Amino acid sequence: MDDFQSGEETSFVVDEVSSIIKEAIESAIGGNAYQHSKVNQWTTSVVEQTLSQLTKLGKPFKYIVTCVIMQKNGAGLHTASSCFWDNSSDGTCTVRWENKTMYCIVSAFGLAI
Amino acid sequence: MLHSRVSFSGLPLFQPILKTRLENTYKMQPDEGCKFDAGRVQRVLEGALASALGTTVYSPQGSAPLAQSLAELLQSQAKEVVPPRYKLVCNVLLGQQGQQSLLVASRALWDPESDSFASATFSNASLFAVATVHGVYFE
Repeated sequence: MDDFQSGEETSFVVDEVSSIIKEAIESAIGGNAYQHSKVNQWTTSVVEQTLSQLTKLGKPFKYIVTCVIMQKNGAGLHTASSCFWDNSSDGTCTVRWENKTMYCIVSAFGLAI
Repeated sequence: MLHSRVSFSGLPLFQPILKTRLENTYKMQPDEGCKFDAGRVQRVLEGALASALGTTVYSPQGSAPLAQSLAELLQSQAKEVVPPRYKLVCNVLLGQQGQQSLLVASRALWDPESDSFASATFSNASLFAVATVHGVYFE
């Protein structure tokens, strides 16, 4: 009695997601310096672009994308996340990016339905 | 359907572990009154952050494990108040209080009728913390 599995289609592929996130960050805040008035717009566009690219993959997943943008001022920052899910089908990918004036951390979580 | 193996050489043979397969429950939505209660989870998060971080001082070495343990603590507390069949994603941001500015944003692709999130912040003289818990219904 074999178990038919869809294989590659229903698992979270970290590399694919990580490249999607990097592209989104580059295009939204690529060569910009930190500007308080624009941060809101930047976080929104990074997150929305990532989410729309993820949806285009067409996998049966619910996604949660979080973005943190912080000004470089010498202060320290730590992030941690803990998830209650199914290890075999769900996954996460976090990308850290920086330039001379700011840090950007984007995390994408994919939960199978 | 039982599997069993016999060894003639006398060496130990481990029986294969049978994986239990669950049947489909065909439940697409949470029961009435059993949804993710964002207000309640937010209060739980605020209480937990305040009691865990009350007078803690930021230190570069100590804050990394602190953030991790905080994430696990918040997750276990959130699990108690959240209805069954919900998957949780808990994020904690712990930073040093300086003259910098920071913005946290999140978007999700989910079912707005059954899924939701809650967030809480805490700050004292030397550090600040932001905690977010997203609850997603598992069909």
